[in-house]
Amino acid sequence: MHRVAIVSQSGSKYSKDSGKGIFDLACEPCARILNSENLDKANLGAVLFSSCTTEQYSSTILSELLGIRPQISHRIDNLCNSGTNAVVSGYSLIASGLCDTVLVVGAEKARSEGNKLGWDITRGSFMLPVHWAALFAKAHMRKYGTSEEEMAMVSVKNRGNASSNPDALFRNPVTLDEVMASRKIADPLKLLDCSAACDGASAVLLASEEKAKELTDEPVWIQGIGQYTSSASFANATADLCSIEAAKVAAQAAYKMSKTEPSQIDVAEVHDAFTILEILAYEDLGFTKKGTGGKFVKQDNIAINARGGIIGRGHPVGATGVAQVVEIADQLAGSAGDAQVKGCKKGLVHNLAAAGSSATVIVMGSE
Amino acid sequence: MNQDFFTSLRKGEFRIPICVSCGAIAWPPSANCPKCLSPTQLKKSASTGTLLEFSRSHVTGKDGVFGLVKMGDIRVIGSFDSGSLAEGMKVKMTQCGLLDDGTAYYRFVPTST
Ligand SMILES: [Zn+2]
Repeated sequence: MHRVAIVSQSGSKYSKDSGKGIFDLACEPCARILNSENLDKANLGAVLFSSCTTEQYSSTILSELLGIRPQISHRIDNLCNSGTNAVVSGYSLIASGLCDTVLVVGAEKARSEGNKLGWDITRGSFMLPVHWAALFAKAHMRKYGTSEEEMAMVSVKNRGNASSNPDALFRNPVTLDEVMASRKIADPLKLLDCSAACDGASAVLLASEEKAKELTDEPVWIQGIGQYTSSASFANATADLCSIEAAKVAAQAAYKMSKTEPSQIDVAEVHDAFTILEILAYEDLGFTKKGTGGKFVKQDNIAINARGGIIGRGHPVGATGVAQVVEIADQLAGSAGDAQVKGCKKGLVHNLAAAGSSATVIVMGSE
Repeated sequence: MNQDFFTSLRKGEFRIPICVSCGAIAWPPSANCPKCLSPTQLKKSASTGTLLEFSRSHVTGKDGVFGLVKMGDIRVIGSFDSGSLAEGMKVKMTQCGLLDDGTAYYRFVPTST
């Protein structure tokens, strides 16, 4: 199997309504990546488009708009997990030797009909993501004594981190009191416990080891991947509402493949569409013991969602997983700007879709 | 998705697909068994279950008390009239159906025993 590097990465500025169409959005982060002088842009190996757009033939359209005639091009859609799924597919194309360069682009419109899952009849008339998230939160509170304040602290941290990120949807930090006093959505979750859908795009260029050496002095390596799908429905996603089975299985696989222990992770992007999900992620990823996630939010040995996470940076569904990979690649390449964590060597991306029914964990490193 | 299940649900009946060959439950409903892929047939299921977790939604148009109920080997989110609920409580499905927009609903009450 060939090693796979991330050689460049870029995100766009997120907004509630950009006024742009899906393809204009998608092209935005690609300019910085494709205008590299050593890159034979027209002959990239593959263009993979991560989006839940209802537009047909979208990866092919995007390829043409970017002036690329790729060998391989297709769209990947898997709700919130789309972007990380697309990076895994790109990895596979290079690891297998089928391609030596793969451009992975994620883009979404806030109001796309494709962002909704209508199929899951097990949710009855409470089919919004906040409904299952509220049940996860209630279960964790009841079993482990996790408090509403501990969940709120996740929002305070991530919104605080987003305030120094010029590309974030939310630039204003929030206080604990503001989160606690925000409008109730589904008990115990309040408005500021929830992320918001937005317009946005992100892109990464993956390359084989040989190509990576031609294209950059700061390659970031994909060292381990774990992915698991336990169901599509909420009913069958996870037996115990206090953890997300798919994430635990994916994390074990990614740690094993990369020969990494959770304690070696310096920076992580975890799926925080709701504050409770970040607390579950701490536990499912082995950063802290089961039941102690609520206390872990105040730790300072791993930088988690350092540029705002989904709560602060925003949630353009199909772009999110790519954006998480962009953040960790920036950190490991030393190009994370104000959010740079000094001396970081290993990073991790954790992403989920639809009530945690599927999950991806990617371990990345500077070596 | 299993059309027979919807037809039945529209009539207010909660009947779930069971495999004609191995007897496994297909939930979410499907015309094929997820274990052996043989056809399924609707069967009347138990209407009682256990409340695993509950919450209250404040979302306009989707407000009210809701909870995850385990009925036999299946789980479903149902609605409850506000009242005192507790996890582990025995509950009973009293009504189910499809709203005009095609959304399913399952209504539960605590059993008196
Ligand atoms: Zn069967």
